[in-house]
Amino acid sequence: MEELQDSSIHHMTAKVIAAIKNAKCYEPIYKELQRLVASPSVDKNDMRNTLEDAIKAAGLETEIRNMIFNLVRSRLKKIDAPDVRQTTKSLQSDPLSYLKRAGVLWDRRVRKSLNAMCGELKVPLHGQPRISADREDFVAKWNELSNYNMDLASYRPVYAPKDLLEVLLSLKGPTRPNEDNDQIPQWEFSHIALPVKNLFDLRTHYADLLRNDPYNIHDSAVQCQIILDSKLAPMCQQYLKKGCTPAPYRGALWAAVLDSKLHDYDIENWQKLRNSVWTTDHIVDKLVFKDIQLTASNDDQYFVFEDVLYQVLLCFSRDTDIANCVEYETFPVKGKTYEGPPSGVVPFHGICMFAAPFCYLYDSPVCLYYTFRAFYIRYCHRLTTINTHPQGIVSLCLLFEKLLQTYEPQLWSHFRELQIQPLRVVFKWLMRGFSGHLPPDQLLVLWDLILGYDSLEILPLFAIIILSFRKDSLMQVSSLDSIESILADLSSIKVLPLVQLALSRD
Amino acid sequence: MKCRFKKRKSSSYSRDVMPCCSSSSSKSKLPLPLPLPLPIFGLVSKERPWPRKERHCLYYSTDCDKTALINNFQKRGWHKVPAFDGEWNLYWACAQNCRYIFGVDHPYRMRSDQIINHFPNSMELSRKDLLIKNIKRYRKDLERKGDALAMTHPNSTKLGVGGTRYMYLDIIPMTFVLPADYNLFVEQFHKNPASTWIVKPSDKSQGVGIYLINKLSKLKRFAYEARTFYPHFHRDTCVISKYIDNPLLIGGKKFDLRLYVLVTSFNPIKAYLYNEGFCRFCTQRYDQTEIDNVFMHLTNVSIQKNNKEYNTIHGGKWSMQNLWLYLDSIRGEGVSKKLSCRISETIRHSLDAVAPVMANDRHCFEVYGYDIIIDNNLKPWLIEINTSPSIHSTTKNDCTLKTRLIDNVLDVVIPPSGMPDERWSKTPSQDSLRNFTLITPIQLPKTPNSCQSSTPLTEAGGTGPLTDNYYYRKHKSIINRLAGGALPALAVSKAASKFLLPSGTSALMRPMVQSHIRKATESKKLSQKSKLKSKSAMKRGIGAALSKRVS
Repeated sequence: MEELQDSSIHHMTAKVIAAIKNAKCYEPIYKELQRLVASPSVDKNDMRNTLEDAIKAAGLETEIRNMIFNLVRSRLKKIDAPDVRQTTKSLQSDPLSYLKRAGVLWDRRVRKSLNAMCGELKVPLHGQPRISADREDFVAKWNELSNYNMDLASYRPVYAPKDLLEVLLSLKGPTRPNEDNDQIPQWEFSHIALPVKNLFDLRTHYADLLRNDPYNIHDSAVQCQIILDSKLAPMCQQYLKKGCTPAPYRGALWAAVLDSKLHDYDIENWQKLRNSVWTTDHIVDKLVFKDIQLTASNDDQYFVFEDVLYQVLLCFSRDTDIANCVEYETFPVKGKTYEGPPSGVVPFHGICMFAAPFCYLYDSPVCLYYTFRAFYIRYCHRLTTINTHPQGIVSLCLLFEKLLQTYEPQLWSHFRELQIQPLRVVFKWLMRGFSGHLPPDQLLVLWDLILGYDSLEILPLFAIIILSFRKDSLMQVSSLDSIESILADLSSIKVLPLVQLALSRD
Repeated sequence: MKCRFKKRKSSSYSRDVMPCCSSSSSKSKLPLPLPLPLPIFGLVSKERPWPRKERHCLYYSTDCDKTALINNFQKRGWHKVPAFDGEWNLYWACAQNCRYIFGVDHPYRMRSDQIINHFPNSMELSRKDLLIKNIKRYRKDLERKGDALAMTHPNSTKLGVGGTRYMYLDIIPMTFVLPADYNLFVEQFHKNPASTWIVKPSDKSQGVGIYLINKLSKLKRFAYEARTFYPHFHRDTCVISKYIDNPLLIGGKKFDLRLYVLVTSFNPIKAYLYNEGFCRFCTQRYDQTEIDNVFMHLTNVSIQKNNKEYNTIHGGKWSMQNLWLYLDSIRGEGVSKKLSCRISETIRHSLDAVAPVMANDRHCFEVYGYDIIIDNNLKPWLIEINTSPSIHSTTKNDCTLKTRLIDNVLDVVIPPSGMPDERWSKTPSQDSLRNFTLITPIQLPKTPNSCQSSTPLTEAGGTGPLTDNYYYRKHKSIINRLAGGALPALAVSKAASKFLLPSGTSALMRPMVQSHIRKATESKKLSQKSKLKSKSAMKRGIGAALSKRVS
């Protein structure tokens, strides 16, 4: 047994080392190490100890630790994945293959409609160089793109949360026969064989939220500063679990947890992205403009940050790193494959709401961009693609449904009597991670919990909490419109006490 | 037959008897209530010729039919009556009608159960020329009294937008009244020819007739044009103020704060700040060099809504809650707390400045719309005060905010009995305050924690802390003099205690006064040294005691 463990550690180490070597930050660390080795504090005769000390003294150790922490958290799994697939090899017998297929088809459908739009409007998908007059105008207005005028009348969002919902609701698995009779409602998810947590599991998962710490607010600021000084990502993550992060430290904590602290190469990369936006005109730009104009510009919480959002989302559309980091479902599907935008992310109606809350954390677009990008790669993209990930939108919907069924049976049957899919009511919350629905101060607390517990499961849980909080009103109405109007205004909702209450309730 | 006859008889009998019976019963009831209404009738008859009806509900009257008002009145089950016959209990009047009611030629005085939403001479606050006059006088008064609030920075410090060296009273941009102060303005202008100034008519609102100038020639040209083309705008005086050219920008845009302040009394000052103000954003990115573009510089909604970029969904209005969140996140810990503290101090100063000249009528309350601009150094500047802030709602959020505001105002101004009463002490219960926070008297900001210590005092009610503080400040100059003088230490304390303690000092004050005296004797030893030094020592010692004890 021990041998096995030992070898697995070696195996792991080898993988981590390989991954580090491929990482962007490898080069600067390597250079720094070379400098340390050559420094007088490292003794040739006692290389190991003195070098270790020197590494610790230079703060390189924390950096390496954080790097490994993040690698293990995200990328290693991806490296693992192909191996698993090769060994199983039996895609047809995989009970979730239809889900994977649906994921690939959905992605293709989205890209196809982007391509169709390109064809309709007669613009190339790869973009075209901006004509010089437009380019000058664009560069001059880079800081106030809300005043950059273009005709967007013929553009419309490629898809909206509703479209994804329709696809999800029509998912049919092999276990579900086509000759459905009336007894089984047409809109349940329970046939999907994805493992999801129950409330008991969630309680264990979110146990730290219920622990009372004898700190007051003043202490917590001091504590926060100490944690930030230590620069250790796991500690920062642990801190976010409390859900009462002082606002001034949130930006730094999030950046530490998401490993999005700025390096020189990041700033260079940002400038490169900006230049590519300046020089080429891409159909995605129009979609980004359209989306911001439809959502953030009209939102009374975020309209102030309109100009920053243009910059961030335009650069986001050009960033090829995103396509490399995001894990897509793979499944062999016959038919044409379509090209997507450089980032691989086709903007949907409301994508800028993922970035908007970050405007409350960072003043500079660069910091904002990298933390947002990391957050998107780690969490948000799972909300817009159909995937089998335990935190993918399918699992979250299933979790929502199971929780509602088990813990709010009255509501569940009420919805069922009315023939209204409960999911229809909350789906826009889930898909946007509540952004644009909760007021920013509460939204940031909710996202603190996402980062702290490294899980999107809080979203369906919180949706249940809101439903059950407004249960009395919901039970009195009987139409979708009135249900939606009851749930439209979330401005009085306080995240932390409600979540704590729900988790501690017997 | 028999039967019918009988029936008729009985019916006629009863018909005959009934009126007699009812009249006797009404007579027997009548003597009882009679003595009660009579005295009231006599009391009221001087003011009104008609007898008072038994009131079960409140009558209101209003000059502006805005949903935010009407909804609230109706929610409370009040009845609308016309304004002219004086039947109302609450009159939401426009400033003109209010002035008429308080005018000498008005037929009757207000009854004890009537309230109105303006003070008779609130133009002392709202007219820009009067406001600056009042503030200037307030500063001079404090300075003459040697009040610690009138402390100044040393002469070497650079003058800012306010143009004064006061540490605490530099709350309003430097302002001159035109044409009276024209020469003073020109003198100032020549001191710093690169500065930008903003000209506003004294008594216009909604951004009418406002322009920015950076050259004297431009002012002359505008003045000429105004006289010739828009004589109706410029019948009265103008004010010219230094332009705040370093406003705090968010998302690259300039904004100002619209805060609501409810004043129920000016003597003593009972003022409450509404927590849910909002920021009004310009629609265009701020550029200091382009001074003719009103969409960059003037935040008035009535101006901004003419821009094609104006968004009717949010109307450029951003909640204060968001501002605090943003400032705390970007500018660091406690910034919002400090700033909100400075804002309420600024408001309090403006109220203190006009309090002596205000006609403190007990029937009045008033909601002021304060316009405040925050500069890049997070210092709030008072721009102007509106006596009739718009309760017209442009957006959905606006509508709920203003409805809540009016609801909250009515809660505070209507006594618990539910009927306006001039004899009511105007101390609303803590519950009815809800979103209103009492604006406490200014304390000398010594310790960085002074803001925090002020919070528990909001529960203490209106009058207590105020009188204590006035009392304290009144005698501070005496103690100062004593400390600086050559009296022996014992005499000082004796004199001070004789002077201070018996004259109705509250128990709360006593420890403060004692520490005060201690401090005075100590600083007496230092009095040979520079006066400034002893002042600062005093400041620290008293400040510590003050922040603990007195508001």
